[in-house]
Amino acid sequence: MAQKPNQRGATRESVKPTQHSWSKSSSFSLGKYLRLHQTTLTESFLRLLTYPLASIMTVMVVAIALSLPGGLYVVLKNVQSVTDQWEQQSVITLYLFPTLEDTQALALSHRISAQDDVASVEYISKEEGLRYFEQSSGYEQILSSLPENPLPIVLRVIPKGAVEIDTLPKLQALRDQLANQNEVEHAELDAQWLQRLANILSFGQRFVYGLSVLLVVAVFLIVGNTIRMAVESRRDEVLVMKLVGATDAYIRRPFLYMGFWFGILGGFLASLCILGLSWWVSVPAERLIELYQSGFQLQTFNADEIVLSLLVSAFVGVTGAWIAVSRHIASIELQ
Amino acid sequence: MDIKFQRVGKKYESGQEALSQVSFHLQQGEMAFLTGHSGAGKSTLMKLMMMIERQTSGQILVDGVDLRTLSRRAIPQHRRRVGVVFQNHQLLFDRSIFHNVALPLQVGGADPQQIAKRVRAALDKVGLLDKEKQNPMALSGGEQQRVGIARAVVNKPQLLLADEPTGNLDPKLSAEIMNLFQEFNRVGVTVLIASHDLALVARMRHRVLTLNQGRMVNDGGFG
Repeated sequence: MAQKPNQRGATRESVKPTQHSWSKSSSFSLGKYLRLHQTTLTESFLRLLTYPLASIMTVMVVAIALSLPGGLYVVLKNVQSVTDQWEQQSVITLYLFPTLEDTQALALSHRISAQDDVASVEYISKEEGLRYFEQSSGYEQILSSLPENPLPIVLRVIPKGAVEIDTLPKLQALRDQLANQNEVEHAELDAQWLQRLANILSFGQRFVYGLSVLLVVAVFLIVGNTIRMAVESRRDEVLVMKLVGATDAYIRRPFLYMGFWFGILGGFLASLCILGLSWWVSVPAERLIELYQSGFQLQTFNADEIVLSLLVSAFVGVTGAWIAVSRHIASIELQ
Repeated sequence: MDIKFQRVGKKYESGQEALSQVSFHLQQGEMAFLTGHSGAGKSTLMKLMMMIERQTSGQILVDGVDLRTLSRRAIPQHRRRVGVVFQNHQLLFDRSIFHNVALPLQVGGADPQQIAKRVRAALDKVGLLDKEKQNPMALSGGEQQRVGIARAVVNKPQLLLADEPTGNLDPKLSAEIMNLFQEFNRVGVTVLIASHDLALVARMRHRVLTLNQGRMVNDGGFG
Protein backbone atom coordinates (compact mmCIF):
# COMPACT_ATOMS: atom_id res chain seq x y z
CA MET A 1 0.00 0.00 0.00
CA ALA A 2 1.29 3.36 -1.02
CA GLN A 3 0.89 5.37 2.18
CA LYS A 4 1.89 2.57 4.48
CA PRO A 5 4.91 4.09 6.25
CA ASN A 6 3.03 7.03 7.76
CA GLN A 7 0.13 4.82 8.81
CA ARG A 8 2.08 2.58 11.08
CA GLY A 9 2.20 5.01 13.94
CA ALA A 10 -1.54 5.43 14.00
CA THR A 11 -2.05 1.70 13.95
CA ARG A 12 0.01 0.93 16.98
CA GLU A 13 -2.02 3.44 18.92
CA SER A 14 -5.45 2.55 17.73
CA VAL A 15 -5.53 -1.20 17.48
CA LYS A 16 -3.52 -2.42 20.42
CA PRO A 17 -6.00 -4.69 22.17
CA THR A 18 -4.24 -4.68 25.51
CA GLN A 19 -5.08 -1.03 26.15
CA HIS A 20 -8.70 -1.74 26.96
CA SER A 21 -9.57 1.91 26.81
CA TRP A 22 -12.88 0.86 25.27
CA SER A 23 -13.99 -0.59 28.56
CA LYS A 24 -14.34 2.92 29.90
CA SER A 25 -16.79 3.94 27.21
CA SER A 26 -18.87 0.82 27.59
CA SER A 27 -19.57 1.44 31.25
CA PHE A 28 -22.91 2.96 32.16
CA SER A 29 -23.33 6.63 32.93
CA LEU A 30 -26.45 8.77 33.08
CA GLY A 31 -24.94 11.53 30.96
CA LYS A 32 -24.12 9.09 28.22
CA TYR A 33 -27.59 7.60 28.41
CA LEU A 34 -29.31 10.98 28.15
CA ARG A 35 -27.05 12.05 25.31
CA LEU A 36 -27.91 8.86 23.46
CA HIS A 37 -31.62 9.59 23.86
CA GLN A 38 -31.26 13.18 22.80
CA THR A 39 -29.34 12.18 19.69
CA THR A 40 -31.89 9.50 18.85
CA LEU A 41 -34.72 12.01 19.34
CA THR A 42 -33.31 14.46 16.84
CA GLU A 43 -32.05 11.81 14.44
CA SER A 44 -35.41 10.06 14.33
CA PHE A 45 -37.08 13.40 13.58
CA LEU A 46 -34.62 14.15 10.79
CA ARG A 47 -35.25 10.69 9.42
CA LEU A 48 -38.96 11.48 9.14
CA LEU A 49 -37.98 14.43 6.98
CA THR A 50 -36.10 12.18 4.57
CA TYR A 51 -39.45 10.64 3.57
CA PRO A 52 -41.59 13.76 3.93
CA LEU A 53 -44.61 12.59 1.97
CA ALA A 54 -44.95 9.22 3.71
CA SER A 55 -44.37 10.85 7.10
CA ILE A 56 -46.91 13.61 6.50
CA MET A 57 -49.48 11.08 5.37
CA THR A 58 -49.04 8.96 8.46
CA VAL A 59 -49.18 12.01 10.71
CA MET A 60 -52.36 13.14 8.96
CA VAL A 61 -54.06 9.77 9.30
CA VAL A 62 -53.17 9.77 12.99
CA ALA A 63 -54.45 13.34 13.29
CA ILE A 64 -57.77 12.57 11.62
CA ALA A 65 -58.26 9.45 13.71
CA LEU A 66 -57.59 11.47 16.86
CA SER A 67 -59.58 14.57 15.93
CA LEU A 68 -62.82 12.58 15.54
CA PRO A 69 -63.11 11.59 19.21
CA GLY A 70 -61.56 14.94 20.17
CA GLY A 71 -64.20 16.84 18.20
CA LEU A 72 -67.05 14.76 19.60
CA TYR A 73 -65.66 15.38 23.05
CA VAL A 74 -65.85 19.14 22.44
CA VAL A 75 -69.45 18.81 21.21
CA LEU A 76 -70.34 16.85 24.32
CA LYS A 77 -68.62 19.40 26.51
CA ASN A 78 -70.72 22.16 24.96
CA VAL A 79 -73.99 20.28 25.33
CA GLN A 80 -73.15 19.69 28.97
CA SER A 81 -72.30 23.31 29.57
CA VAL A 82 -75.58 24.39 27.92
CA THR A 83 -77.61 22.15 30.20
CA ASP A 84 -75.62 23.30 33.21
CA GLN A 85 -76.81 26.81 32.55
CA TRP A 86 -80.45 25.95 32.14
CA GLU A 87 -81.71 27.51 35.29
CA GLN A 88 -85.10 26.03 35.20
CA GLN A 89 -87.01 25.37 38.32
CA SER A 90 -88.52 22.02 38.81
CA VAL A 91 -91.67 21.31 40.74
CA ILE A 92 -92.78 18.51 42.99
CA THR A 93 -96.53 18.24 42.92
CA LEU A 94 -98.17 16.71 45.99
CA TYR A 95 -101.74 15.37 45.68
CA LEU A 96 -103.20 15.12 49.17
CA PHE A 97 -105.90 12.69 50.27
CA PRO A 98 -109.37 14.06 49.28
CA THR A 99 -110.64 13.50 52.82
CA LEU A 100 -108.09 15.89 54.26
CA GLU A 101 -109.34 19.09 55.91
CA ASP A 102 -108.02 22.50 54.85
CA THR A 103 -106.43 23.09 58.26
CA GLN A 104 -104.46 19.86 58.12
CA ALA A 105 -103.35 20.65 54.59
CA LEU A 106 -102.23 24.13 55.60
CA ALA A 107 -100.27 22.73 58.52
CA LEU A 108 -98.50 20.34 56.15
CA SER A 109 -97.81 23.20 53.77
CA HIS A 110 -96.18 25.22 56.56
CA ARG A 111 -94.17 22.23 57.69
CA ILE A 112 -92.81 21.60 54.20
CA SER A 113 -91.98 25.21 53.47
CA ALA A 114 -89.91 25.25 56.66
CA GLN A 115 -87.62 22.55 55.22
CA ASP A 116 -84.10 23.65 54.24
CA ASP A 117 -84.22 22.23 50.73
CA VAL A 118 -87.56 23.84 49.85
CA ALA A 119 -87.79 27.32 48.40
CA SER A 120 -91.54 27.78 48.53
CA VAL A 121 -94.85 25.93 48.64
CA GLU A 122 -97.89 26.96 46.65
CA TYR A 123 -101.22 25.97 48.16
CA ILE A 124 -103.97 25.08 45.67
CA SER A 125 -107.31 24.51 47.34
CA LYS A 126 -109.96 22.19 45.87
CA GLU A 127 -111.86 25.18 44.53
CA GLU A 128 -108.86 26.76 42.93
CA GLY A 129 -108.02 23.45 41.38
CA LEU A 130 -111.50 23.10 39.98
CA ARG A 131 -111.42 26.59 38.53
CA TYR A 132 -108.09 25.98 36.94
CA PHE A 133 -109.24 22.66 35.57
CA GLU A 134 -112.39 24.19 34.08
CA GLN A 135 -110.41 26.90 32.37
CA SER A 136 -107.82 24.71 30.87
CA SER A 137 -109.44 21.40 30.07
CA GLY A 138 -112.81 22.31 28.57
CA TYR A 139 -114.58 19.71 30.70
CA GLU A 140 -116.81 22.29 32.45
CA GLN A 141 -120.01 20.44 31.63
CA ILE A 142 -118.86 17.13 32.91
CA LEU A 143 -117.38 18.74 36.01
CA SER A 144 -120.54 20.71 36.77
CA SER A 145 -122.62 17.56 36.44
CA LEU A 146 -120.69 15.92 39.26
CA PRO A 147 -122.35 16.06 42.69
CA GLU A 148 -119.23 17.33 44.40
CA ASN A 149 -115.72 18.55 43.61
CA PRO A 150 -113.60 15.44 42.99
CA LEU A 151 -110.26 17.22 43.08
CA PRO A 152 -107.87 16.95 46.02
CA ILE A 153 -105.92 19.74 47.64
CA VAL A 154 -102.64 20.15 45.80
CA LEU A 155 -99.31 21.51 47.08
CA ARG A 156 -96.75 22.67 44.52
CA VAL A 157 -93.35 22.42 46.17
CA ILE A 158 -90.52 24.39 44.57
CA PRO A 159 -87.15 22.94 45.66
CA LYS A 160 -84.20 25.22 46.32
CA GLY A 161 -81.49 25.70 43.72
CA ALA A 162 -81.42 25.33 39.97
CA VAL A 163 -82.09 22.01 38.37
CA GLU A 164 -79.00 20.28 37.11
CA ILE A 165 -78.25 16.78 36.17
CA ASP A 166 -76.15 16.36 39.28
CA THR A 167 -79.01 17.39 41.54
CA LEU A 168 -81.47 14.94 40.05
CA PRO A 169 -80.91 12.26 42.73
CA LYS A 170 -81.38 14.92 45.41
CA LEU A 171 -84.71 15.95 43.91
CA GLN A 172 -85.79 12.36 43.73
CA ALA A 173 -84.89 11.89 47.38
CA LEU A 174 -86.95 14.98 48.29
CA ARG A 175 -89.89 13.65 46.33
CA ASP A 176 -89.68 10.31 48.13
CA GLN A 177 -89.50 12.04 51.48
CA LEU A 178 -92.58 14.14 50.69
CA ALA A 179 -94.46 11.13 49.35
CA ASN A 180 -93.97 9.42 52.69
CA GLN A 181 -95.97 12.10 54.52
CA ASN A 182 -99.26 10.70 55.86
CA GLU A 183 -101.33 13.43 54.21
CA VAL A 184 -99.87 12.83 50.77
CA GLU A 185 -101.55 10.38 48.48
CA HIS A 186 -99.23 10.86 45.52
CA ALA A 187 -96.12 12.92 44.76
CA GLU A 188 -94.83 13.67 41.31
CA LEU A 189 -91.48 15.15 40.34
CA ASP A 190 -91.78 17.17 37.19
CA ALA A 191 -88.30 16.53 35.88
CA GLN A 192 -88.87 14.10 33.10
CA TRP A 193 -87.14 16.35 30.61
CA LEU A 194 -84.12 16.35 32.88
CA GLN A 195 -84.05 12.59 33.10
CA ARG A 196 -84.33 12.32 29.35
CA LEU A 197 -81.48 14.73 28.88
CA ALA A 198 -79.36 12.85 31.39
CA ASN A 199 -79.99 9.66 29.47
CA ILE A 200 -79.18 11.26 26.13
CA LEU A 201 -76.00 12.69 27.55
CA SER A 202 -74.86 9.42 29.04
CA PHE A 203 -75.66 7.76 25.73
CA GLY A 204 -73.56 10.42 23.99
CA GLN A 205 -70.77 9.97 26.47
CA ARG A 206 -70.64 6.24 25.98
CA PHE A 207 -70.80 6.67 22.26
CA VAL A 208 -67.85 9.07 22.34
CA TYR A 209 -65.87 6.83 24.69
CA GLY A 210 -66.52 3.75 22.59
CA LEU A 211 -65.60 5.55 19.41
CA SER A 212 -62.46 6.93 21.10
CA VAL A 213 -61.34 3.45 22.08
CA LEU A 214 -61.86 2.24 18.51
CA LEU A 215 -60.00 5.15 16.99
CA VAL A 216 -57.14 4.91 19.47
CA VAL A 217 -56.80 1.26 18.50
CA ALA A 218 -56.76 2.42 14.89
CA VAL A 219 -53.89 4.79 15.73
CA PHE A 220 -52.02 1.89 17.35
CA LEU A 221 -52.40 -0.07 14.15
CA ILE A 222 -51.51 2.81 11.84
CA VAL A 223 -48.36 3.70 13.77
CA GLY A 224 -47.48 0.04 14.26
CA ASN A 225 -47.81 -0.73 10.59
CA THR A 226 -45.82 2.31 9.49
CA ILE A 227 -43.06 1.45 11.94
CA ARG A 228 -43.03 -2.18 10.87
CA MET A 229 -42.49 -1.06 7.29
CA ALA A 230 -39.77 1.33 8.42
CA VAL A 231 -37.98 -1.54 10.18
CA GLU A 232 -38.35 -3.68 7.07
CA SER A 233 -36.90 -0.95 4.85
CA ARG A 234 -33.93 -0.68 7.20
CA ARG A 235 -33.39 -4.40 7.47
CA ASP A 236 -29.76 -4.17 6.30
CA GLU A 237 -29.02 -1.57 8.91
CA VAL A 238 -30.60 -3.68 11.64
CA LEU A 239 -28.49 -6.64 10.55
CA VAL A 240 -25.25 -4.66 10.53
CA MET A 241 -26.06 -3.19 13.92
CA LYS A 242 -26.65 -6.64 15.33
CA LEU A 243 -23.38 -7.76 13.81
CA VAL A 244 -21.37 -5.01 15.48
CA GLY A 245 -22.92 -5.70 18.85
CA ALA A 246 -25.97 -3.47 19.16
CA THR A 247 -28.46 -4.54 21.80
CA ASP A 248 -32.09 -4.99 20.79
CA ALA A 249 -32.92 -1.98 22.96
CA TYR A 250 -30.46 0.16 21.01
CA ILE A 251 -31.91 -0.94 17.68
CA ARG A 252 -35.45 -0.46 18.93
CA ARG A 253 -34.91 3.06 20.25
CA PRO A 254 -34.98 5.09 16.99
CA PHE A 255 -38.18 3.32 15.96
CA LEU A 256 -39.81 4.07 19.29
CA TYR A 257 -38.91 7.70 18.85
CA MET A 258 -40.36 7.54 15.36
CA GLY A 259 -43.61 6.34 16.94
CA PHE A 260 -43.34 9.16 19.45
CA TRP A 261 -43.05 11.71 16.66
CA PHE A 262 -45.96 10.23 14.71
CA GLY A 263 -48.06 10.29 17.86
CA ILE A 264 -47.22 13.76 19.10
CA LEU A 265 -47.31 15.40 15.67
CA GLY A 266 -50.61 13.66 14.96
CA GLY A 267 -51.95 14.84 18.30
CA PHE A 268 -50.77 18.37 17.62
CA LEU A 269 -52.40 18.42 14.20
CA ALA A 270 -55.59 16.95 15.68
CA SER A 271 -55.67 19.74 18.28
CA LEU A 272 -55.23 22.31 15.52
CA CYS A 273 -58.08 20.69 13.57
CA ILE A 274 -60.38 20.85 16.58
CA LEU A 275 -59.45 24.48 17.32
CA GLY A 276 -59.99 25.31 13.65
CA LEU A 277 -63.36 23.57 13.53
CA SER A 278 -64.44 25.28 16.75
CA TRP A 279 -63.51 28.61 15.28
CA TRP A 280 -65.39 27.77 12.10
CA VAL A 281 -68.64 26.91 13.88
CA SER A 282 -68.23 29.75 16.39
CA VAL A 283 -69.68 32.40 14.05
CA PRO A 284 -73.12 30.80 13.52
CA ALA A 285 -73.06 29.52 17.08
CA GLU A 286 -72.59 33.00 18.50
CA ARG A 287 -75.45 34.32 16.39
CA LEU A 288 -77.62 31.57 17.77
CA ILE A 289 -76.56 32.38 21.31
CA GLU A 290 -77.39 36.02 20.74
CA LEU A 291 -80.90 35.07 19.62
CA TYR A 292 -81.46 33.19 22.85
CA GLN A 293 -79.77 35.94 24.82
CA SER A 294 -78.06 33.32 26.85
CA GLY A 295 -74.85 33.81 28.80
CA PHE A 296 -73.52 30.63 27.26
CA GLN A 297 -70.02 30.66 25.79
CA LEU A 298 -68.81 28.26 23.15
CA GLN A 299 -66.28 25.84 24.62
CA THR A 300 -63.27 24.57 22.72
CA PHE A 301 -60.07 22.70 23.56
CA ASN A 302 -58.39 24.45 26.48
CA ALA A 303 -54.68 24.34 27.25
CA ASP A 304 -55.00 21.43 29.68
CA GLU A 305 -56.89 19.37 27.16
CA ILE A 306 -54.35 20.11 24.44
CA VAL A 307 -51.50 19.02 26.70
CA LEU A 308 -53.43 15.92 27.70
CA SER A 309 -54.20 14.99 24.11
CA LEU A 310 -50.53 15.45 23.17
CA LEU A 311 -49.49 13.18 26.04
CA VAL A 312 -52.04 10.56 25.11
CA SER A 313 -51.12 10.64 21.42
CA ALA A 314 -47.41 10.43 22.18
CA PHE A 315 -48.05 7.49 24.47
CA VAL A 316 -50.18 5.75 21.86
CA GLY A 317 -47.47 6.35 19.23
CA VAL A 318 -44.69 4.92 21.37
CA THR A 319 -46.77 1.94 22.46
CA GLY A 320 -47.86 1.20 18.90
CA ALA A 321 -44.25 1.35 17.78
CA TRP A 322 -43.17 -0.86 20.67
CA ILE A 323 -45.66 -3.56 19.83
CA ALA A 324 -44.69 -3.52 16.16
CA VAL A 325 -40.96 -3.28 16.66
CA SER A 326 -40.15 -5.63 19.51
CA ARG A 327 -41.12 -8.82 17.78
CA HIS A 328 -40.03 -7.67 14.36
CA ILE A 329 -36.49 -6.76 15.39
CA ALA A 330 -36.07 -10.04 17.24
CA SER A 331 -37.18 -11.85 14.10
CA ILE A 332 -34.50 -10.23 11.95
CA GLU A 333 -31.61 -12.58 12.51
CA LEU A 334 -28.16 -12.69 11.06
CA GLN A 335 -27.79 -15.49 8.56
CA MET B 1 -8.59 -13.57 22.41
CA ASP B 2 -8.00 -17.24 23.02
CA ILE B 3 -10.38 -19.61 21.26
CA LYS B 4 -10.73 -23.29 21.89
CA PHE B 5 -13.08 -25.60 19.96
CA GLN B 6 -13.61 -28.99 21.56
CA ARG B 7 -15.38 -31.60 19.43
CA VAL B 8 -17.81 -28.97 18.19
CA GLY B 9 -20.69 -30.05 16.01
CA LYS B 10 -23.45 -28.08 14.31
CA LYS B 11 -26.47 -29.79 12.92
CA TYR B 12 -29.17 -27.65 11.33
CA GLU B 13 -32.83 -28.34 11.85
CA SER B 14 -33.01 -29.53 8.26
CA GLY B 15 -30.76 -32.40 9.33
CA GLN B 16 -27.77 -31.07 7.47
CA GLU B 17 -24.58 -31.51 9.47
CA ALA B 18 -22.43 -28.42 8.87
CA LEU B 19 -19.69 -29.24 11.38
CA SER B 20 -18.80 -32.36 13.28
CA GLN B 21 -16.17 -33.11 15.90
CA VAL B 22 -14.21 -29.93 15.13
CA SER B 23 -11.37 -29.29 17.58
CA PHE B 24 -8.66 -26.66 17.44
CA HIS B 25 -7.02 -24.09 19.63
CA LEU B 26 -6.36 -20.56 18.39
CA GLN B 27 -4.14 -18.86 20.88
CA GLN B 28 -4.16 -15.24 21.92
CA GLY B 29 -2.34 -13.21 19.26
CA GLU B 30 -2.27 -16.01 16.69
CA MET B 31 -3.11 -15.64 13.03
CA ALA B 32 -4.57 -18.49 11.02
CA PHE B 33 -6.36 -19.25 7.78
CA LEU B 34 -9.43 -21.37 7.39
CA THR B 35 -9.76 -23.08 4.04
CA GLY B 36 -12.00 -25.61 2.39
CA HIS B 37 -14.48 -25.90 -0.43
CA SER B 38 -17.63 -23.90 -0.31
CA GLY B 39 -20.04 -25.74 1.92
CA ALA B 40 -17.21 -27.24 3.97
CA GLY B 41 -18.40 -25.34 7.06
CA LYS B 42 -16.12 -22.28 7.11
CA SER B 43 -18.96 -19.80 7.46
CA THR B 44 -20.72 -21.92 10.05
CA LEU B 45 -17.56 -22.02 12.13
CA MET B 46 -17.31 -18.23 12.03
CA LYS B 47 -20.97 -17.84 12.88
CA LEU B 48 -20.43 -19.97 15.97
CA MET B 49 -17.61 -17.65 17.03
CA MET B 50 -19.90 -14.63 16.51
CA MET B 51 -22.75 -16.37 18.32
CA ILE B 52 -24.89 -15.93 15.24
CA GLU B 53 -25.45 -19.66 15.49
CA ARG B 54 -25.08 -21.98 18.47
CA GLN B 55 -23.32 -25.32 18.30
CA THR B 56 -25.38 -28.46 18.77
CA SER B 57 -22.57 -30.42 20.43
CA GLY B 58 -19.15 -29.87 21.91
CA GLN B 59 -17.73 -26.85 23.63
CA ILE B 60 -16.42 -23.46 22.50
CA LEU B 61 -14.24 -21.68 25.03
CA VAL B 62 -13.44 -18.01 24.51
CA ASP B 63 -10.81 -16.80 26.96
CA GLY B 64 -11.80 -19.82 29.04
CA VAL B 65 -15.52 -18.97 29.03
CA ASP B 66 -17.92 -21.52 27.60
CA LEU B 67 -20.08 -19.70 25.05
CA ARG B 68 -23.04 -21.90 25.96
CA THR B 69 -23.14 -20.19 29.37
CA LEU B 70 -23.70 -16.79 27.76
CA SER B 71 -27.33 -15.69 27.60
CA ARG B 72 -28.97 -14.01 24.64
CA ARG B 73 -28.53 -10.69 26.40
CA ALA B 74 -24.77 -11.20 26.62
CA ILE B 75 -24.40 -11.65 22.85
CA PRO B 76 -24.02 -7.93 21.95
CA GLN B 77 -21.24 -7.54 24.49
CA HIS B 78 -19.47 -10.57 23.03
CA ARG B 79 -19.79 -9.24 19.49
CA ARG B 80 -18.23 -5.93 20.46
CA ARG B 81 -15.04 -7.82 21.24
CA VAL B 82 -14.99 -9.40 17.79
CA GLY B 83 -14.42 -7.55 14.53
CA VAL B 84 -15.82 -9.10 11.35
CA VAL B 85 -15.12 -8.48 7.71
CA PHE B 86 -17.37 -9.97 5.08
CA GLN B 87 -16.90 -10.61 1.42
CA ASN B 88 -19.99 -8.59 0.60
CA HIS B 89 -18.83 -5.71 2.84
CA GLN B 90 -22.20 -5.18 4.57
CA LEU B 91 -21.72 -1.43 4.28
CA LEU B 92 -24.67 0.92 4.56
CA PHE B 93 -25.11 3.15 1.56
CA ASP B 94 -27.41 5.64 3.27
CA ARG B 95 -24.53 7.25 5.16
CA SER B 96 -20.97 8.41 4.72
CA ILE B 97 -17.88 6.27 5.11
CA PHE B 98 -17.21 8.00 8.41
CA HIS B 99 -20.61 6.98 9.78
CA ASN B 100 -20.25 3.43 8.52
CA VAL B 101 -17.02 3.04 10.43
CA ALA B 102 -18.45 4.81 13.48
CA LEU B 103 -21.32 2.33 13.85
CA PRO B 104 -19.65 -0.13 16.28
CA LEU B 105 -18.64 2.79 18.51
CA GLN B 106 -22.09 4.42 18.42
CA VAL B 107 -23.67 1.12 19.31
CA GLY B 108 -21.40 0.97 22.36
CA GLY B 109 -22.38 4.49 23.33
CA ALA B 110 -18.97 6.14 23.00
CA ASP B 111 -18.90 9.92 23.16
CA PRO B 112 -18.72 11.79 19.84
CA GLN B 113 -15.19 13.13 20.26
CA GLN B 114 -13.87 9.68 21.05
CA ILE B 115 -15.77 8.30 18.07
CA ALA B 116 -14.30 10.89 15.68
CA LYS B 117 -10.78 10.22 16.92
CA ARG B 118 -11.04 6.46 16.62
CA VAL B 119 -12.83 6.50 13.27
CA ARG B 120 -10.13 8.72 11.77
CA ALA B 121 -7.39 6.49 13.20
CA ALA B 122 -9.05 3.43 11.65
CA LEU B 123 -9.60 5.13 8.29
CA ASP B 124 -6.03 6.39 8.33
CA LYS B 125 -4.90 2.84 8.95
CA VAL B 126 -6.66 1.55 5.82
CA GLY B 127 -5.61 4.60 3.79
CA LEU B 128 -9.04 6.17 3.33
CA LEU B 129 -8.85 9.13 5.67
CA ASP B 130 -9.33 11.61 2.82
CA LYS B 131 -12.62 9.93 1.81
CA GLU B 132 -14.43 9.94 5.12
CA LYS B 133 -17.23 12.20 3.89
CA GLN B 134 -17.95 10.18 0.75
CA ASN B 135 -20.65 7.60 0.33
CA PRO B 136 -19.22 4.04 0.19
CA MET B 137 -21.12 3.56 -3.06
CA ALA B 138 -18.58 5.87 -4.73
CA LEU B 139 -15.68 3.58 -3.83
CA SER B 140 -14.08 0.70 -5.72
CA GLY B 141 -14.46 -2.88 -4.48
CA GLY B 142 -11.07 -2.87 -2.81
CA GLU B 143 -11.76 0.43 -1.10
CA GLN B 144 -15.13 -0.79 0.12
CA GLN B 145 -13.44 -3.82 1.58
CA ARG B 146 -11.02 -1.53 3.39
CA VAL B 147 -13.92 0.46 4.83
CA GLY B 148 -15.28 -2.85 6.10
CA ILE B 149 -11.92 -3.58 7.71
CA ALA B 150 -11.80 -0.14 9.29
CA ARG B 151 -15.25 -0.78 10.75
CA ALA B 152 -14.13 -4.18 12.05
CA VAL B 153 -11.09 -2.78 13.87
CA VAL B 154 -12.41 0.61 15.03
CA ASN B 155 -13.63 -0.91 18.28
CA LYS B 156 -10.17 -2.42 18.99
CA PRO B 157 -11.47 -5.97 18.92
CA GLN B 158 -9.53 -8.83 20.42
CA LEU B 159 -10.48 -11.14 17.59
CA LEU B 160 -10.70 -10.30 13.92
CA LEU B 161 -12.73 -12.65 11.71
CA ALA B 162 -12.72 -12.30 7.95
CA ASP B 163 -14.95 -14.37 5.68
CA GLU B 164 -13.51 -14.40 2.14
CA PRO B 165 -12.21 -10.84 2.47
CA THR B 166 -10.46 -10.99 -0.90
CA GLY B 167 -13.19 -12.83 -2.76
CA ASN B 168 -13.81 -10.24 -5.48
CA LEU B 169 -10.41 -8.59 -5.57
CA ASP B 170 -7.48 -8.89 -7.94
CA PRO B 171 -4.21 -10.41 -6.60
CA LYS B 172 -2.54 -7.06 -5.92
CA LEU B 173 -5.47 -5.72 -3.88
CA SER B 174 -5.80 -9.09 -2.14
CA ALA B 175 -2.19 -8.92 -1.04
CA GLU B 176 -2.73 -5.40 0.32
CA ILE B 177 -5.73 -6.54 2.33
CA MET B 178 -3.80 -9.50 3.70
CA ASN B 179 -0.95 -7.23 4.71
CA LEU B 180 -3.44 -5.12 6.65
CA PHE B 181 -4.61 -8.16 8.58
CA GLN B 182 -1.03 -9.07 9.29
CA GLU B 183 -0.40 -5.65 10.74
CA PHE B 184 -3.33 -5.98 13.10
CA ASN B 185 -2.04 -9.37 14.11
CA ARG B 186 1.36 -7.88 14.83
CA VAL B 187 -0.17 -5.62 17.50
CA GLY B 188 -1.73 -8.53 19.29
CA VAL B 189 -5.13 -9.15 17.68
CA THR B 190 -6.07 -12.78 17.13
CA VAL B 191 -6.92 -13.16 13.43
CA LEU B 192 -8.80 -15.89 11.60
CA ILE B 193 -9.36 -15.55 7.85
CA ALA B 194 -11.59 -17.86 5.83
CA SER B 195 -10.42 -18.08 2.25
CA HIS B 196 -10.45 -20.52 -0.61
CA ASP B 197 -7.59 -18.73 -2.38
CA LEU B 198 -5.03 -21.43 -1.62
CA ALA B 199 -2.16 -19.76 -3.49
CA LEU B 200 -2.57 -16.56 -1.48
CA VAL B 201 -2.90 -18.53 1.76
CA ALA B 202 0.26 -20.44 0.99
CA ARG B 203 2.20 -17.24 0.39
CA MET B 204 1.21 -15.82 3.77
CA ARG B 205 2.97 -18.59 5.70
CA HIS B 206 0.59 -18.88 8.60
CA ARG B 207 -1.17 -21.72 10.26
CA VAL B 208 -3.87 -23.23 8.05
CA LEU B 209 -6.99 -25.01 9.21
CA THR B 210 -8.73 -27.01 6.51
CA LEU B 211 -12.33 -28.13 6.65
CA ASN B 212 -13.82 -30.81 4.46
CA GLN B 213 -17.49 -31.65 4.72
CA GLY B 214 -17.64 -30.27 8.22
CA ARG B 215 -14.59 -32.03 9.55
CA MET B 216 -11.18 -30.61 10.36
CA VAL B 217 -8.88 -32.50 7.99
CA ASN B 218 -5.71 -30.46 8.35
CA ASP B 219 -4.34 -28.23 11.07
CA GLY B 220 -0.82 -27.04 10.56
CA GLY B 221 1.67 -24.80 8.84
CA PHE B 222 1.99 -24.31 5.14
CA GLY B 223 5.33 -24.51 3.31
